[in-house]
Amino acid sequence: MTPGDLATTSDTLVWLAVLSYVVAATLFGLEFAYRPRWLGVAGLAVTVAGLAANVGAATTRGLAVHRVPWGNMYEFSIIVGIITVTGFLVWVRRRPEIRPLGVFVLLPAVLAMGLGGLVFRVPAGPLVPALNSRWIVIHVAAAITGSSVLCLGAVFSILYLVKDRVERRRRPPAPPLVAGAARTADRVEVDQAVARHAGVWDRLPSADTLDHLAYRTIAFGFPIWTFAIIAGAIWAQSAWGRYWGWDPKETWSFISWTVFAAYLHARATAGWRGRRAAWLAIVGLATLLFNFYAVNTVIVGLHSYGGR
Amino acid sequence: MAVDVRPPAARPDRPPRRPGLGDTLRQAWREYRSMRTALVLLVVLAAASILGSLFPQEGVSPQRVDQYFADHPALAPVLERLGLFDVFGSAWYMAIYLALLGALVACLVPRTRALVRVLRSRPPRGGDLARYRTRATFETSAPPDEAMAAARRVLRRHRFRLATHDGQLAAEKGYLREAASMLFHVSLLVLLVGLAYGKGYGYRGQAAIVEGETWANARVGYDSFSPGRFFGPERLAPFQLRLDDFTNSFYANNTPRAFVSRLTALDLDGRQLQSQPVAPNRPMTVDGVRVFQSDYGYVPVVRVQDRNGRELLAPQEVLTLRDPASEVSNGAVKVTRSTPQVGLQVVLFTGLRTAPDCPPGMDFCNDPRLSRPVLVVLAYQGDLQADRAQSVFSLDHSRLRPLGDRPLLLGPGQSGRLANGMVVSFTDLKQYSVFTLARDPGVPVVAVGAALLLCGLVPSLYVTRRRVWVRAVPAGPGTTRVELAGLALQGKAAFEGELARLAAQVERGSGGLTPSPPEDRGTLNGAKDRAAAEETRP
Repeated sequence: MTPGDLATTSDTLVWLAVLSYVVAATLFGLEFAYRPRWLGVAGLAVTVAGLAANVGAATTRGLAVHRVPWGNMYEFSIIVGIITVTGFLVWVRRRPEIRPLGVFVLLPAVLAMGLGGLVFRVPAGPLVPALNSRWIVIHVAAAITGSSVLCLGAVFSILYLVKDRVERRRRPPAPPLVAGAARTADRVEVDQAVARHAGVWDRLPSADTLDHLAYRTIAFGFPIWTFAIIAGAIWAQSAWGRYWGWDPKETWSFISWTVFAAYLHARATAGWRGRRAAWLAIVGLATLLFNFYAVNTVIVGLHSYGGR
Repeated sequence: MAVDVRPPAARPDRPPRRPGLGDTLRQAWREYRSMRTALVLLVVLAAASILGSLFPQEGVSPQRVDQYFADHPALAPVLERLGLFDVFGSAWYMAIYLALLGALVACLVPRTRALVRVLRSRPPRGGDLARYRTRATFETSAPPDEAMAAARRVLRRHRFRLATHDGQLAAEKGYLREAASMLFHVSLLVLLVGLAYGKGYGYRGQAAIVEGETWANARVGYDSFSPGRFFGPERLAPFQLRLDDFTNSFYANNTPRAFVSRLTALDLDGRQLQSQPVAPNRPMTVDGVRVFQSDYGYVPVVRVQDRNGRELLAPQEVLTLRDPASEVSNGAVKVTRSTPQVGLQVVLFTGLRTAPDCPPGMDFCNDPRLSRPVLVVLAYQGDLQADRAQSVFSLDHSRLRPLGDRPLLLGPGQSGRLANGMVVSFTDLKQYSVFTLARDPGVPVVAVGAALLLCGLVPSLYVTRRRVWVRAVPAGPGTTRVELAGLALQGKAAFEGELARLAAQVERGSGGLTPSPPEDRGTLNGAKDRAAAEETRP
């Protein structure tokens, strides 16, 4: 295949992947709402197919341009899809019960890729000289992986907050001071009432499980993000002669790092653990999104090659 | 303020104890080094950094700061006084991170003491093993001391520290978590020291060199120069740089492909030190100074004569400013010896093209490759106001009026006549290359700090602290009952399985023959435990 054919194939595969993710998200969503297991299993199969298309898209793009396929925002968005979906699949393998959460993971991935494909798409092409370094392999790969994993963790934090709210609302009032038997009967009645009125959100895994998922995911992403920043500093030192210059991209990476560091500290601080920590993760997610979308396009800086 | 409510009279034998500024201070100190303080300061640091990205920064883009002053004349001075154009160098930003590092040090001291105490003492006794949530029990035909020996072997293989208390084996591991966490926090201090040292004793500057020319590394040779506080210009390394050649190339879609300067470093006597191509991501190091390719531009050589052929301006290299998007460069030639004075605005096209070769709707356009250089000359006459400070790239048009109604278009080697009879010649075209020169003696320190940071971070998140106790008691003729109990400070969800595996290994190791009865695996860890499971240390 010529580079042109490969690039066309890549573009097709991107949309195929997005389409698969949309279908899978729908299936997971239906499983979440109506519970039949086969929907989720089908969703999983479609997700894997979508992931294959996604990886194929990145590979053909890389072959078409003879370099790593993460040189601009469009390519970055494609890789974000791969990392997020892979991260989710790894979690589902370890904890099958979280499968219906796929809808909350795939939809952001679809958004990221769709935005990349519709707004930031650029034809396959070579890199500008400033990006032509082997550090692009390491730094950008670590940045995509770290930020995708941190975003995934923040998604779990959002779900944790939702479920925590549901659980607190549902907590039955203090049992009346009567004899044991009557009390048990009351509890049963309360439980039945609760089950009758249980909303769809009750089907989320327990708040504690979600909190745990969020922590484990963020604790995995944080060192990768740290490494990405350090690798970027090394590259900046060899490309611009300074390892740190408060360029907007650097500043926002540092802000995200600080916020997620605060999250990790909050997990061990009385009064911050739980809801407040989850809010910190959400702030962290906002800083990552700002860094990727706003800093690349709106704020002028040395990292502004990403956009169009 | 703590108040002592006890009446002094009640304690006649001792002098009344003052409520204690000391108590208050101690309390404040304890509060300061608490994790909550660190947490709040981290959030404040993040918020303060946001300000640094909302406003243009002096150290990053001074032109945009000037632009901001022009756009917001009333607001800008206020913001400047607040340090918002130099957030990362401002006193209040420094106050935040120093407070954070102070809290870090304040918290490291007791943590070091605690860790040393733990490392010096033996793993503590477990007491009644039945009350632990995570347990594993099995029965074996091996005698109790053999079972205990097997437990010792297994636990030692898993890198537990061991101690025996009254026949009970106590084991503990995972001190690396706390040690690594402390290493991580210390490395932040190392980073800051390296940063400050490099900032104080290093410098950065930019210099433009025209092809074929030699540039001496002296303060005056720099177009911009920002030294550290403790850097004296006398410390500039004694060398010269000669730009032998500059080349740039483009892809078919006109995006830049490469730009390379062949640069030779010479000592002050002109002896060659080294010679190499310098390109983006390929700097040269001379005498501890790193030389980076940063920009480039074009230098048309222009000569001006009056109508009689008398030279008004000897062939002059005109430095021009290149627009990276179009590769069109702009410059100015100032002829002060004529009356009235004449100013030439020159626009250099690297490859001038006209209508059919250009994108639709454009009469002319530029090919970024140096394929058909054309110098467009627009002449003005009047007063150049050359005695005032002004840009070398442009004319001050306030007292100038156009000379003639059409521009001259000159190729290299061509001459043209202006409306007043003057002859302008485009005799030659050269390129210049802009280099950033930087020296940062703090880099090795920062590199070590960053390496330590990563070395500390990963174990501080993933190593888990565990305590395990083992007891073996006879449980009838020829049977020994072995009990394992454990406590996990982190990663509790996985601990139950770990303990079960340890028990299985001990059972195999003790060489018992009887098939083991179903294990009492303790209570199942519910979600509640899991919630409490993941505790990070500060």
